[in-house]
Amino acid sequence: MTEWLKWTAPAAVVMSVAAPAYATQYMSVGEAQKSAFPSATGFAEVQAGRVWKAQAGERVMGYFYYDHVVGKHLLIDYAVAVDADGRVRKVEILNYRESYGGEVHDASWLQQFVGKSSQSALQMNSDIRNISGATLSSTHLTEGVKKVLAYHASHFR
Amino acid sequence: MQATSANIRRARPLLGTFVDIDVDDVDERQAEEAVEAAFAAVAEVHRLMSFHEADSDVSRLNRIASSGAVAVHPWTYEVMEMAADMNRRSAGAFDIGIAPTLQQLGQLPSDEDAPVLPGTCVPMAEAVELLGDNRVRFTRASVKVDLGGIAKGYAVDRAVDALRSHGVRSAIVNAGGDLAAFGPDARTIHIRDPRSPDRLICLVDVSNQALASTGRRFDPFRSAAATDSAVIEPKSRTPTCAVHGATVRASSCMIADALTKVVMIAGAEAAAPLDHYRASAIFISADGDVRATSDWQGVRHNAS
Repeated sequence: MTEWLKWTAPAAVVMSVAAPAYATQYMSVGEAQKSAFPSATGFAEVQAGRVWKAQAGERVMGYFYYDHVVGKHLLIDYAVAVDADGRVRKVEILNYRESYGGEVHDASWLQQFVGKSSQSALQMNSDIRNISGATLSSTHLTEGVKKVLAYHASHFR
Repeated sequence: MQATSANIRRARPLLGTFVDIDVDDVDERQAEEAVEAAFAAVAEVHRLMSFHEADSDVSRLNRIASSGAVAVHPWTYEVMEMAADMNRRSAGAFDIGIAPTLQQLGQLPSDEDAPVLPGTCVPMAEAVELLGDNRVRFTRASVKVDLGGIAKGYAVDRAVDALRSHGVRSAIVNAGGDLAAFGPDARTIHIRDPRSPDRLICLVDVSNQALASTGRRFDPFRSAAATDSAVIEPKSRTPTCAVHGATVRASSCMIADALTKVVMIAGAEAAAPLDHYRASAIFISADGDVRATSDWQGVRHNAS
């Protein structure tokens, strides 16, 4: 029969543990473009660093958006791939960074992530690990995707 | 070109949270296919079991199962069977019939045409009939179910199956803190302090097992502070306050996910269901005590 024991981690140790800056790089922009439109022959920049047109020869396959949602302690870079008919083909998270040290709004801290591929793992102040705990909602990202689609509908359809 | 062993990690917004899949030890092209299949399985669980999607099995049941048997997808039926078992084993602490209360509390959207009347929650054991052959019937019109307390774990299990059947030998799937890992090497998981998500409670190694956590909600877009619990105690129909947060280790993520709710609601009385499902757990009670089952294997985080 299961018994409960008081878990006796020394209080001093537990209290001094600040969660490290969790950051994960999943894909670079280039990798995400290729993965969303594997048969594309090229990506023409429509808006610098933000919007690309995926082409197979002369044919437009769709559009690729690179955008961010930023909060107080969290920044997510994500990509939305949209088909030629305006439907979402794929939503991918490219970078995820969570920090309680205020770095999220520090431009030079953010700069280190730009253009990195998922293969070049970053060395943070701690290993990048899996986290479990309080429930994290993806509502803000969902709103970001809606914003991208609204922009797409008004500019490219 | 020679096939190389690859590591790929991808994340997508699904199930209302972030689903992260990390795969190694697999051929590179095969890895992409495997991860696609795993995300597809998660998306399928979302499509079948979301309370929010009008075409889901759950929404269909909530609309019409009180007027006759409704056939659902075998996955939905499997989750409902486990929910019924969990309901019995936990003396009613785990209850998918809590949906009308969640609607009243604003945690689930309400249907404008069918307002929820106070006190209409019917305990699952009286409310839901599992008729076999993937058919489900509700005993009265006011019954509504929500699989939000168990489907996320099930989605992780289905993703793991998809990866395995694509030849992946080592991977971890993490759906917003409900996770499962398989392969030769253990993976270290950081468990946040539910009172203060910028701190950790402990580190846990997971291999060929699942781990699920529930705590207060928190939103790093807004602040570092955690807010109320999203777990509702079926008997009082109010958010649980005896436990700040709980983490459960079990053989499947569906079981671990559901058991976190049982621990949140029943606290130390969750011992019997934990025992039955051969699961171990750690929780932080409202008075700040950290309690763990005697078989809990967690490593204290060494700060230095």
